[in-house]
Amino acid sequence: MTTFVIKRLVWTIPVMLIVILFTFLLMKQIKGNPFRKTERALPASILANLNRKYGLDQPWYVQYVRYTKGVFTFDLGPSLLLRNQNVNDIVKDHFPVSLELGFFAFLFAIAIGIPLGVISALKANSGWDYLAQIAGSAGFAVPSFLVATLLIYFFGFKWRAWTGLPVSGWDTPQSKVLPSIALGFLPMAYFARLVRGTMLETLQQDYVRTARAKGLRRRRVIGLHVLRNSLIPVVTAAAPLLGAIITGSFIIENIFAIPGIGRYYVTAVQGRDYSVVMGLTILYAAIVIVGNLVVDLLYGILDPRTREART
Amino acid sequence: MSIINPDEVTEASTARATELGGTEAGAAIGTTSLWKDAFYRFAANRGALVASFLFLLMVAYVVIVPWVSPYDPYAVDFSQAYLLPTWSHPLGTDQFGRDLMTRTALGGRVSIGIGFVGTFVILGIGTLYGSISGFVGGRLDNAMMRFLDAVYGLPYLPFAIIVLQIFGVVTFWTMVIALTIVSWLTAARVVRGQIITLKENDYVRAARAVGARWYRILGRHLLPNTLGVLIVFVFLELPGVILGEAFLSFLGLGINPPKASWGSLAEDGRDVFLGHPWIIVIPSIAIGYLILCANFIADGLRDALDPRTRET
Amino acid sequence: MRKQLRLAVAALATVALAVAAAGCGGSSNSSSNGSNGGATTSAAGGNLASSQVLDMSWGAEPPSLDPGLATDTTSANVLYNIMDPLIKLGPNLQPEPNLAESWTVKGPIVTYRLRHDGRWTNGDPVTAQDFEWSWLRTISPQLAADYAYQFYGIKGAEAYNSCDPKKQNCNALRSKVGIKALGKYTLQVTLTSPQPWFVQQSAHTSFLAVNRKAVEKWGNKWTEANHIVTDGPFKVAAWRHDAELDLVKWNGWRDAKDVTLTRINGKIISDGTTAEQSYEAGDIAVDTTGIPPADIDRWKGTPDYAQYASLGTYYYGFNVKNIPDVNQRRAMAFAVDRKSIIDNIAKAGQTPATSMTPKGMPGFDTIHTTYLPTAGEGLAKAEQLMKKVANPVKNVTLYINDAPGHKEIAVAIQSMWQKLGITTTIKQQEWAQFLQFLGPPPDKSVDVYRNGWIADFVDDINFLELFTCRSGNNDTNWCNPQYDKLVAQAKATPDDDKRYGIYKQLENILTGPNGDMPIMPIYWYTFVQLEKPWVNHSFSINPLDQFDLTKVKLLKH
Repeated sequence: MTTFVIKRLVWTIPVMLIVILFTFLLMKQIKGNPFRKTERALPASILANLNRKYGLDQPWYVQYVRYTKGVFTFDLGPSLLLRNQNVNDIVKDHFPVSLELGFFAFLFAIAIGIPLGVISALKANSGWDYLAQIAGSAGFAVPSFLVATLLIYFFGFKWRAWTGLPVSGWDTPQSKVLPSIALGFLPMAYFARLVRGTMLETLQQDYVRTARAKGLRRRRVIGLHVLRNSLIPVVTAAAPLLGAIITGSFIIENIFAIPGIGRYYVTAVQGRDYSVVMGLTILYAAIVIVGNLVVDLLYGILDPRTREART
Repeated sequence: MSIINPDEVTEASTARATELGGTEAGAAIGTTSLWKDAFYRFAANRGALVASFLFLLMVAYVVIVPWVSPYDPYAVDFSQAYLLPTWSHPLGTDQFGRDLMTRTALGGRVSIGIGFVGTFVILGIGTLYGSISGFVGGRLDNAMMRFLDAVYGLPYLPFAIIVLQIFGVVTFWTMVIALTIVSWLTAARVVRGQIITLKENDYVRAARAVGARWYRILGRHLLPNTLGVLIVFVFLELPGVILGEAFLSFLGLGINPPKASWGSLAEDGRDVFLGHPWIIVIPSIAIGYLILCANFIADGLRDALDPRTRET
Repeated sequence: MRKQLRLAVAALATVALAVAAAGCGGSSNSSSNGSNGGATTSAAGGNLASSQVLDMSWGAEPPSLDPGLATDTTSANVLYNIMDPLIKLGPNLQPEPNLAESWTVKGPIVTYRLRHDGRWTNGDPVTAQDFEWSWLRTISPQLAADYAYQFYGIKGAEAYNSCDPKKQNCNALRSKVGIKALGKYTLQVTLTSPQPWFVQQSAHTSFLAVNRKAVEKWGNKWTEANHIVTDGPFKVAAWRHDAELDLVKWNGWRDAKDVTLTRINGKIISDGTTAEQSYEAGDIAVDTTGIPPADIDRWKGTPDYAQYASLGTYYYGFNVKNIPDVNQRRAMAFAVDRKSIIDNIAKAGQTPATSMTPKGMPGFDTIHTTYLPTAGEGLAKAEQLMKKVANPVKNVTLYINDAPGHKEIAVAIQSMWQKLGITTTIKQQEWAQFLQFLGPPPDKSVDVYRNGWIADFVDDINFLELFTCRSGNNDTNWCNPQYDKLVAQAKATPDDDKRYGIYKQLENILTGPNGDMPIMPIYWYTFVQLEKPWVNHSFSINPLDQFDLTKVKLLKH
């Protein structure tokens, strides 16, 4: 187990280097000047000042080395667009918001999705099952921008009088309701389907039958054995879900004017804010890499069989 | 692609599918009975059958309607703007008075087209990476897989956005590149798993023992046997690519006007959703419809090609 | 989704700067060009709401609140309300005294006399030395300010700004710049030549003073809410980046007794649809972000709809190398039904533009041309003109940027040109790439491109100068030496009427009956926002898109 952890940890370093290089080279391919923000042309002398100030007058490999050094010392450099901010400031300001949004969305997904899946599995092929399955399918099929728009349309306007939910921002607890639901909709459907599937499967397993045969009460069997084993895939699913939540946050943060990192990303790319785009991309990659690591470790703890296989 | 589908990306299920598919398929290479069997099993699955029919119906709609439609999908006539659905305009008209029935069909061509082409590109790259890794094995395999493990689940959207900015102009093909650039990771994993399992099969060992060249082994014995899994994968991946295109369009990074995709139609609708809500609803429903169909088809295909995973 | 919607929608051009002279801040008679500036009845004190806290939306996050570094509309609007400019622009955009109680112009020398009661929020007086230090800081190559070129009219400024501190000692050049504080309250500026527009230009945000102590203490972080030192009617209460920027009334300001609002809770919402949602849901009382054009119809005619004239022109430029025949360019300009575009797409009550010079520009009546049609009647003439073209270009590529609104206009123009037998391919690019494509010189594939211009300062030279041969903003490949000669002549003509006469000739070369038509104007901009009827006295947005919060009052509702 320890060697496995160490191996995985060591592997993250070259992977990060590759991701940084890849992103860096991609960014260098983008045409357009971060300092020309409007149709107004800048005199050459002013461009020269700006390039000098931000080190863009250096050759690309010097920039790359300097940048990589920065990443590993947790200094992502200054923003080219927000002239009084560093990328670190931007991450510090916006990242917690995205994190919170993702967390609430996840919470919503778990709170609704897992019970939905459990009911579905226990009452397989009943009316409840179909209802839950339909809800799950809808979560999959309906794009998040429509979910968000419909939530705004109904809860923010039609029924505003009694919901009292604001349709933008991220300051009051009320303002967090609609975006969290909108973002959590897809993971909810995901959990519901996943739990249903794995539970049905686990219920067929020998040890469950044995436990039942031994006279253990149904509730206890389900609580202790079935649910626990059914949740393993849920943990594994957390990694790709993380990706989905990040992706979703781009859309949701834009629709609800949430000061998160996804919303800022689009602005930064369009404004050619190289350092911010690089910083955020690397941050995303780092999150995913760490997320995968954690999931693998959790997986090992929850399911001892995989330990050897994975080392 | 990172749109998630429980049957797609959970390693548990894909790994299982590949493993089982592998052993099953391995034994029956070259015979048609397996495919025939699979076909009958698929045909017996009512849900999948209905989904396939609906899927084809949608494809027929997007292919045929623009041909037979009496309306020019690009002609501007402001006097006809924002008409509600009627007999002559079954889905109403947009801001320019263009018939949405026709526009949605055209948008579908782009969306579905990008969906399929994108999926095939993903499979192509994934197969290449996966088969090299799996076939060569050893240190190279180890390195390639460690890399995949680490970046598995990397969100495609940031990279897609960067790629679109590199090209500047969004066309069908730049969109495909943007959507595939980091989305082949899962496919690579699946293919590699297949190859590894198949490699250990007796008949492959036998082929090797009689001195078959590596490309013959790969081309004749290994890759054809991954086909079943890849077919399932097409329909698992398709929704993700279509949705990815829609997201990018919705963020304003969509295909050039006056062309449209379902995503860019939805984006147009968002500006006016308080006054004319159906304009965003129609293309979104179309996307959802297609995703649902693809899901059911994928389920059916998997059951058909891999009988042991059928739910009892 | 759309960033910077205020710019994109209100101005329909991604004009991130737009800002130039200052018209805001708190002059007693600030401009109100709004055709429907919300409720305009002058409210007696008794009518006021008990709470004078305004919830509103700013546009995009201000990239910087440092006057030296700010370049966009939101930053400018915040700055005009928290800082104290020397000069403000009056209702007709004429310069009015503000912190400078008077000024004198003698040839190239401009002298400002400052009021003695200007105060920084830390208690220090605002002095001429503050201005000298601030302006030199903005010009310095180390700060690398985008807007340093606003100062290039000052003697020695360009040389100092172009100095490379890695290779030269720039301090010598610094001391040669023609900005001198003569005593505590007198500021003398020496220009490179007489510039009739300089006093108006000095109302621009880059000419605001900053507090030296704050800047030196906090460095790059001096603009954060808990560090910033200001000298205007409001001060920054909180700034949560990309979320909220709140101002509170500052009682130490010299005319604080005339300010009614006590606090502004400003949400940062760059997306037009989102801002509109928030307004409609009642989360904000004023939406300065702007409305998506497609949705303007819903608001027109309601008391919430507020529309202000602007000093800007939305136009298409031709790459004259690719479309060399002037008659084809004229035909294309004639085929465009400007009124239909405004009525059906842009919708914000814009005026069909027949000249580059925008309506409202001083001298407009003399300068502007009326050759081009305003509505659909030009089509017949366009067809005639097209017949004269020996080798017409039948397939043109039109480049637009992807901000909202442009696509729709391009689609409409595409169908109008179709009537001349011209097939148009629209290429939509995002902003940064688009700019790179335009050059100058433009990429070979560019036949026609969209652009817009909003005044930097209030003189038509700002528009007409764009199309000189070597202008960095002339993306048409068009070069007419006679035009350049006239521009130079206009710059050396301080007398307004004479200068307007030259401008008329210039405008004729661009868009007149015998003109070269390197560009075709489409409409003159307006700014549109949503204001609750009880937000009184409107925002008095002036044609440079600047608003003055000191005059805003909230009525009982």
